Amino acid sequence: MSDTHKAAPMVDEVSDFEILEMAVRELAIEKGLFSAEDHRRWIEYVHTLGPLPAARLAAKAWLDPDFKKLAVADGVKASLAVGIDWINGPPTKFGTPSDYCSFRVLEDTPKVKHVVVCTLCSCYPRTILGQSPEWYRTPNYRRRLVRWPRQVLAEFGLQLAADVEIRVVDSNQKTRYMVLPLRPIGTEGWSEQQLTEIVTRDCLIGVAMPQPGVTSNAKRPVHPAVHPIHTGH
Amino acid sequence: MSASKETDVSVAADSEVGIGTAEIPLLEAIGRSGRVWGDLAAQYGVTNPDPPWKVSLDATCDALSAEACALPLLERRAEEDELSASCYRNVPFPERQLLALAHSMLTRDLFNEEELARRMREVRERLTGA
Repeated sequence: MSDTHKAAPMVDEVSDFEILEMAVRELAIEKGLFSAEDHRRWIEYVHTLGPLPAARLAAKAWLDPDFKKLAVADGVKASLAVGIDWINGPPTKFGTPSDYCSFRVLEDTPKVKHVVVCTLCSCYPRTILGQSPEWYRTPNYRRRLVRWPRQVLAEFGLQLAADVEIRVVDSNQKTRYMVLPLRPIGTEGWSEQQLTEIVTRDCLIGVAMPQPGVTSNAKRPVHPAVHPIHTGH
Repeated sequence: MSASKETDVSVAADSEVGIGTAEIPLLEAIGRSGRVWGDLAAQYGVTNPDPPWKVSLDATCDALSAEACALPLLERRAEEDELSASCYRNVPFPERQLLALAHSMLTRDLFNEEELARRMREVRERLTGA
């Protein structure tokens, strides 16, 4: 280790919530509700989830018309091509954590835009998309998207033309969805890896559209103030 | 919209009847005075949006639903929504998810408040005494 190495900042304080989480878990194990090994396997599962498999599925579908047909017809089978086994993958070896039955890929067209919600709670295809964002869980999104989809999408910065139909698809305990967005102009000749990088999580939920140069790792744009405050006057 | 949603709604409605919104003193006190991750992260200059215990909490929720069926996922989420709008409305996420989980488990007598308080004291001694 060099002399210039600096440790990353860390929270040097034990909070009541951290203690509560441990106490609840330990009591559950002590009561025999699950084992410590069960818990460890679930942590590993949760940790390794991410939107990448779904992004790669979209990229593959853009590049291969036959694969796109398969994805739209049988999302479970198509998922195998990106390393996701819905049936045998999760730690239970018994479908997804919440009683999986079906996974469907919703293909956008120039005149139809899909967007996914769970009006009941927060059903989400975690196996292929990772953890859901907090806003997806909020009653604000869940209630308003089905009533005013165009307005809610506009709040995400997605302005759709009036002649584009919006289809809101409601996830549930049995069926999970991802959106296969339109391949953007300007990506002709791109490799599968390049295309995968621009299919962000929000594109797969349906509240954003992929754009060349915009990836999940992109830095936030910083705009100069339109009316800056001048000091010293 | 999915036709099967109607079935799911009835399941959730049943579960909402059971949880109630009576406060649990121990959890109420933690929600009122516990330091939330947003404040701790800002104080210590940490940029991770989630506390380190969040993944463990999710794993506990999954394990309770899948391994033991002690607390089915859909019931827990319905109760979390209900409690987030009542007892823990002033607590941010994911702290309120944790409080709601503990609340649901206490309501089901999976353990009692005294046991939880005792275990918290033991955990605190272990973490702060090292």
